[in-house]
Amino acid sequence: MNLLRDVLDKQVLDRKGVKIGKVDGLVAELRPGKPPRIVAAELGSITLARRLGARPGRWAARLAAWLGGDRHSEPHRISWKKVRDIGLDIEFDIDGRETSIFDWQDWLRDHFIGRIPGA
Amino acid sequence: MKKLLEISLGVVTSVGGFLEVGSMATAAQAGATFGFHLIWAVVLGTLCIIFLVEMAGRFAAVSQYTIADGIRERFGFQVFLWPLLATLLVNFLVMSAEIGGVSIALELATGIGFQWWALPAALLAWLMLWKGTFGLIEKGVSILGLVTLCFVVGAVMLKPDWKAVAAGAVPSLPAHDATNYWFMAVSILGASISPYLFMFYSSGAIEDKWDKSYLGVNRAIAWLGMTFGGTISVSVLIVSALVLSTNGIVQVDDYHQLPLMLIPIFGFWGFVLFVASLGIACFGAAVEVGLQQAYLVAQGFGWDWGEDLKPRDDPGFSTVYTVSLFLAAIPIMLGLDPLKLTIFSMALTAASLPLTVVPFLFLLNDERYVGAHRNGIVSNAAVIFIITLAFVLAVVTIPLQIFGDV
Repeated sequence: MNLLRDVLDKQVLDRKGVKIGKVDGLVAELRPGKPPRIVAAELGSITLARRLGARPGRWAARLAAWLGGDRHSEPHRISWKKVRDIGLDIEFDIDGRETSIFDWQDWLRDHFIGRIPGA
Repeated sequence: MKKLLEISLGVVTSVGGFLEVGSMATAAQAGATFGFHLIWAVVLGTLCIIFLVEMAGRFAAVSQYTIADGIRERFGFQVFLWPLLATLLVNFLVMSAEIGGVSIALELATGIGFQWWALPAALLAWLMLWKGTFGLIEKGVSILGLVTLCFVVGAVMLKPDWKAVAAGAVPSLPAHDATNYWFMAVSILGASISPYLFMFYSSGAIEDKWDKSYLGVNRAIAWLGMTFGGTISVSVLIVSALVLSTNGIVQVDDYHQLPLMLIPIFGFWGFVLFVASLGIACFGAAVEVGLQQAYLVAQGFGWDWGEDLKPRDDPGFSTVYTVSLFLAAIPIMLGLDPLKLTIFSMALTAASLPLTVVPFLFLLNDERYVGAHRNGIVSNAAVIFIITLAFVLAVVTIPLQIFGDV
């Protein structure tokens, strides 16, 4: 498998099959004398912005921390040990609801979408 | 039997969904100014969209990816960002133009200025997405869109010189107003080859849970549906060429000139049919482009999406269509001329095509996504040729049209 070609930018599902984002980044651990090892997948706008450059990355991190508090000043990380299946999508053995990934969607539901009749 | 029903339903939806403000305005303009001479542009654009729609359906049915998912995964976020931004911008302008079309139809029907209708039109389109399901939108709106077939009836009743019509299907050099001629050709190509149309189609194939057994259905829908759709556009052009220019209108620069098109054929009902066609076709397109904006963003960033979910279950998705529909109403509310906006957004669509179509073609030739169902040489060559032509013409004529002939 080619990590950058086949895993990066793949759709991420949680254990209930809910779409929680894309593999926006991969975190590798460098080990002396051995090939590097993937330890986590990163999700979120900070990681995406970092891929565009160091400066957009800093701006995104500052913006995320300002909007969402300290909890959001770093990208969301999911340990590679939690990978259950890689196929069309990549499935992690976690519950998206328990992470902070959905915070902004929850905020939208509570403050905007949920207030419109018929939601 | 079930497949036959699927095909007929699919054809009906594509026929009903084909004609929108862009094809209507560009075909009417071309007919009034250049007679049958620009029919070739409609034919070429239709051929290209047939290939692209067939590819979009095949890609989704075989790989189970939507186009946006596929482009992002195959090329990475840094590349995906460009088609994403270009499509969002073009879709925004097109959506605004469609809302403008609905507003003009309502102005013609009621006499109240079009600016006042922009917000109600956007609100109605939004309500459709808020409460409706994918099936309702796909089928309901498009079946109503069959009213646009009145142009085909009209074109036949006018008994055009079919030899001249056929001659118009062959590209020719303009006898007068060269810049205007090529600019109109670009707008027609942009109106026929709408990125939202084939991207929407791929999301629809996933929403309808297509698999490989749908490849035949897909091919039939693409060819029959888009051919019928193209026929309606050609009919608009024919009617415009025969009616508008004989009534002294050789340059369409205002929507108010257009209702005249069907009056000599159907009398008062011609006016009603025109208003209904314009209103319904543009309304359907506004709904579909709004939905496509939400699909695109949600698929690009991996959020949960689906028109059949309740808004509170996919708040990100529903926020995108809500915000984009209301933003798109603003230019019309401020009184921007819907016709100018339409023509400009169609030309810009043509210029933006390589950004979406080139990565898409790569996917359709990649065995890891489509296996043995890769593109043949004919579809690759045809799409590359038409897209290149549209792009080159757009880049040359848009500045000339804006800054005038020097």
